[in-house]
Amino acid sequence: MKMPMKPRIAITGAGVISALGNSRQEVYQKLLEDECPTRKRPDWADQMYGTYQPFAAAVDLPTETAKTISRHFRRSMGNAALYATLAARDAVAESGLTKEDLQSGRIGCIISSTVGSPSEIYASAMAVLRNELQALSSCQFFKIVSHSSAFNVANYFGICGVQLSPCSACASALQSIGLAYEQIKLGHQDAIVAGGSDETTPIVLESFRFLNALAKNPDWSPCELSRPFAEDRCGLVCGDGAGIFVVEEWSHAQARQATILGEILGYATNCNGAQISQSDGASIAYCMRQALKDANLNPEDIDYVSAHATSTPSGDREEASAIREIFGDTVPVSSLKGHLGHTLGASGGLESAIILEMAKNDTIIPTKNLARIAEDCAGLDHVTFRRQKRLRTVLKNCIAFGGVNATIIYRLADF
Amino acid sequence: MTREKIIQLVNQIFIEQFEIEPDQLTPEKRIFEDLALDSLDIVDLVTGLQQKFSIPLRENKDILEIRTLNDIYVLFEKLAAEHPDIIAKLNQDP
Repeated sequence: MKMPMKPRIAITGAGVISALGNSRQEVYQKLLEDECPTRKRPDWADQMYGTYQPFAAAVDLPTETAKTISRHFRRSMGNAALYATLAARDAVAESGLTKEDLQSGRIGCIISSTVGSPSEIYASAMAVLRNELQALSSCQFFKIVSHSSAFNVANYFGICGVQLSPCSACASALQSIGLAYEQIKLGHQDAIVAGGSDETTPIVLESFRFLNALAKNPDWSPCELSRPFAEDRCGLVCGDGAGIFVVEEWSHAQARQATILGEILGYATNCNGAQISQSDGASIAYCMRQALKDANLNPEDIDYVSAHATSTPSGDREEASAIREIFGDTVPVSSLKGHLGHTLGASGGLESAIILEMAKNDTIIPTKNLARIAEDCAGLDHVTFRRQKRLRTVLKNCIAFGGVNATIIYRLADF
Repeated sequence: MTREKIIQLVNQIFIEQFEIEPDQLTPEKRIFEDLALDSLDIVDLVTGLQQKFSIPLRENKDILEIRTLNDIYVLFEKLAAEHPDIIAKLNQDP
């Protein structure tokens, strides 16, 4: 009996919104120039506990850019949904999907974020405290619910297929792309607009600070604070933005003569079932092995690992141990968090979009601020300077609060 | 309160909140069909009018009958007569 061929899943569009720019080409160029978007945010200080001086790598979106989305659609969007819609608009335009395609019922939308919109949740809470609930907008609910980015993007395009939002904090985007891959493999959809978005606010910073996860060395400049895998790493820098793909069944993309930017070869997600705030090397390693198995690949087939590594002491240690266990020091590894900050629910999508540019240019962007590799992160092939390498097959990790792990394996050349 | 002042305050809501160009705001314009507001916008319109005029409207049955911009102007001419104290305060504002 002839076995049915495994469906192939393509990426035919990719859009980003980030503190470094609003196209993946612009972001890549700024990464080459080592431009850093992390800034002190004295304007946020009054929302922080004590006398803390906040910092973040936050998107600064011009009003005129936001207004390119009409008020009818924009009225129900917090910043996370707005960033998702702007990034999705670029991804869909690049894919060449038509209005008829999008509204056929065969196209879905899977986008998620940590929560709907931290800034709008804060605004709602303040309205309650000030007894001003009657002044809230009719759309406040639509801005703060967890699937806000998904339905706002779907509504913007008139998408009427599957709409899902697997909110899982910092693994949100990668789980969304992975879920899109699975939905298409199952034949439920021909293509899916998929990814993640998030916004950073003083309350987001405070949430990490309260858990001792925010970078805390006051003697370093903002751009020196995030230093994944470094001996003296002391926590993460919060960022935000969006990274959205159009994920599409291969023959559907070919029939449209769409340009194929990449292929999703394998995906896995799991959780450690033991610790909600600490990463766990064994479960991360298991997740990567499952993704390799799904892709029918061996560790030696991987050309580059794009680590989650956020610059927290325990998170980087656990991910490094998992990568070391599977790849030893034979595969180049870097993290983009030192450059972009930790863009939370957007990170898996945004960083995956940047990886497309890295592969297109045969270049690995190094881990920023990695002067001295920590002993507990050693034994990997850490990329500390820009490196030329053909990136045919790339593994991307995301790890999240809740003990969640996600891994996607991309083919980015020689389809 | 003069009709001109009422038109100015009502139109401010349409300009600032609903991003409608001022030259579109003529009295005969129908709120749904011509100005493209929908049921969610009407909730915000009522909220905006309440805040602007400091007059409670959620229980007001007349607000359900408005169809055109002029209907809103006329309603607030009537409300201005019923709430002289509130309107006197508004008149002091520039």
